[in-house]
Amino acid sequence: MSWQAVARKEFRDAIRSRWLHGSTLFFALFLGGASALFFGVLLPPANRQVSNLFGFFANLGVFSFSFPALLALVLGFIALSTSYGSITEERETGSIKLLLSLPNSRLDVVVGKLLGRSTVIVAALLVGFLATFVALVATGTRLQLGAFAPQVALTAILGVAFVSIGLSLSALADSNREATLATMGLYFVFAVLWGSIAEGIPKLLNYTAEQVGMSVGELTRVKLGVFLKYVNPLKVYETLAAGLYYEPARARLLSTTLGERAVLGSTLQESMPFYFTDWFLFLLLLAWIAVPAAVGYWAFEREDL
Amino acid sequence: MAAIELDGLTKRFEDVTAVSDLSLTVEEGEVFGFLGPNGAGKSTTINVLLDFVRPTTGAVTVLGHDARAESVAVRERTGVLPEGFDVYDRLTGRAHVEFAIDSKEVDDDPDAVLERVGLADAADRQAGGYSKGMRQRLALAMALVGDPDLLVLDEPSSGLDPAGAKEMREIVLEEADRGTTVFFSSHILEQVEAVCDRVGILRDGELVAVDSIDGLREATDADATLSVSVGDPVGDEVLAAVGNLDGVQSVDRDGDGSLRVACDSDAKTRVVTELEDRGVAVTDFTTEEASLEDLFLAYTEGGGVAEADAVETTDSGSPESAADDVEVRQ
Repeated sequence: MSWQAVARKEFRDAIRSRWLHGSTLFFALFLGGASALFFGVLLPPANRQVSNLFGFFANLGVFSFSFPALLALVLGFIALSTSYGSITEERETGSIKLLLSLPNSRLDVVVGKLLGRSTVIVAALLVGFLATFVALVATGTRLQLGAFAPQVALTAILGVAFVSIGLSLSALADSNREATLATMGLYFVFAVLWGSIAEGIPKLLNYTAEQVGMSVGELTRVKLGVFLKYVNPLKVYETLAAGLYYEPARARLLSTTLGERAVLGSTLQESMPFYFTDWFLFLLLLAWIAVPAAVGYWAFEREDL
Repeated sequence: MAAIELDGLTKRFEDVTAVSDLSLTVEEGEVFGFLGPNGAGKSTTINVLLDFVRPTTGAVTVLGHDARAESVAVRERTGVLPEGFDVYDRLTGRAHVEFAIDSKEVDDDPDAVLERVGLADAADRQAGGYSKGMRQRLALAMALVGDPDLLVLDEPSSGLDPAGAKEMREIVLEEADRGTTVFFSSHILEQVEAVCDRVGILRDGELVAVDSIDGLREATDADATLSVSVGDPVGDEVLAAVGNLDGVQSVDRDGDGSLRVACDSDAKTRVVTELEDRGVAVTDFTTEEASLEDLFLAYTEGGGVAEADAVETTDSGSPESAADDVEVRQ
C-alpha cells in the first residue's frame, strides 16, 4: 500500500510549512474569535445558541450573506493553495523523480497526495473548531450538537473537495505558473461568477429553443438555474449546512433571487425534486472530491515527467 | 536472464528525436557504463526504464518486467539515483530514507543506510540545507534501501568532490560484488573506466558502440601519440617534413629535447626514419596508447552538434583521463 507512504510523506512535509502554521492560526482566530465575539459580546444570553452564528443565513434577494458561506470562501482559498502546487512544484524542483523512482505508482501519488494534504487541512480546520468549542463552552452557549457536529464534518468534506480540485489543476498544468493562474481563475469563478453563469444557462437554452419555435417553461428554467447554482461546491456546502438547521425547502432557497423564490417557493413546499434533496446534494459534494481526483490521475498518468 | 533489454527503442519529443532505434541488452550482475556527450539521449533512455517517459516505439524490459505496464514491479527491485532531481527541503535526511523504506515496504534501518553514504551526522537536519553533494548521497541512500537487484545511476558523481566521487565508486563496486546489476550513465570517462565491465556509447540518440573498454580500444583505429626524445633542438624545416609524412596529423615541439607526433600507428617507423635521415639523433621514443578519451572522441565526433558537446565534455574530463593513459615503452 504505497499510497500510505506517499500520504505520510506529504503530511510530514506539509505539516512543517509556514503557510499551514499560518492557516491553522487563522482558523483558530477566525472561528474561535467569531464565536467569542458573537456569543460573548454581541448576542444576549438568551440567544446564545450555535445556530445564531453557524446557522446564520441572511438572504435579501439581491444579496445574501451567511457565516458558513464566509467560512467556505476562506476554507476554499486555503485548501486550494495547499494543493495546487503539489505536483507542479515537485516537477519544477525535480523531487518528483525521487518520488517516482520509488515503487509508487502514479495512482499512489495522486491518492497519497489527496489524503496527505487533506489530513493537513482537516487538522488545521479542527484546531479552529476546537477554539470555537472552547469559546462556546466558555460563553455557556447551547451547543446544538445534532446540527453542529455534522456541520463540522461537512466543512471538513468541503476542505477535502478543494484539496482535490487544486490537486487536479496541479496535474493538468504544465508549470507552476499555469497551475497558479488556473487556480486563481477557478476560485474567482466559484466565488464570484458562478451565479451569473448558472442563471445565464437556462436563458440561453430558452433563447435557443425559441429560435426553433419551442420554449422552455419558466418553472423548468428556474429549477435548472437554481440546481446549477448548487453545483458550485461553495453553494452546495452552504445549502447543506443550512439544511442542518432548517427544513430542506427553506435551505434550498438560500442562494435564490427574489424572482426564483417566487416561482420555486411553493413548488418545493409541495414536493422536493430528488435533485434538491439533501442526500443528492451531499453526493454532489462528494463528487467534488472524486471527480477532480480522477481527472487529475487521468492527466498525470498520461504525462511524461 | 537479462537485467535490461531495450529493443528498437525510439523516443520522439515534439520536435526532436531523443533516442532512435536503440537496442541493448545488459546482463544480470554486470556493471554497464552508458557513455555519451550531454544531450545524446542517456537520460531519456534511463527515464524510459523507469517509466518517467513513455517510448514512442520499441519494447523495454527491466528485470523481466515490461517497463511501462509493470513499472512498479520494476521499481520495487531497482534503486535509482536520478539526474536533475531535488530533495524535499522541509524533510530531514532520515525522513527521506524512511519514505524510501515505506515505499519499498522493507524494514531497513534508516541510520545504517545513512551511515553507509556518510550522512549519519546530518540525518536530523532538513535536507533543504544540504549541499549538492549531500543531496546526491541522500538520493543514493534512498536508492540503496531494500538491497535492489538493479542500480540505475544517472550521472552519479555530479556535484561530488573527488573524495565523494571515489566513495560513490566504492559503493557501486560493493554493490556489484554482491551481484547487483549496475547501469550508470556518465560523461566522465575515468569513472566508467574504473568500474565498468562494458560500456555503450551513445551519440545523437543512437548507440554507436557496445563493448568492454579493451574491446573498444582494439576495435578503434584511434591515433597514437608518439613522443620522440632528440639530442638537439629540431629545425622548422625538419618539423615541416615530418608533418608532411603520410599518416601524420600533427607535430609539435615538447620543449627543446623532444617532439610530440600525432600519427596513425603504422606511421611511427616512417617518422623515426625521416628524423634520422635528416640527421636528427633519436635517443628514445614512446608511444601512448589511445586513451579512453580519444576513443570517446573517435566515436562521438562527426556529428555537428554532438561534436561541440563532445569537446566540451572531454574538456572537463581530461585531467583525470590523461593520467590514465597507458604508456607502452617500445
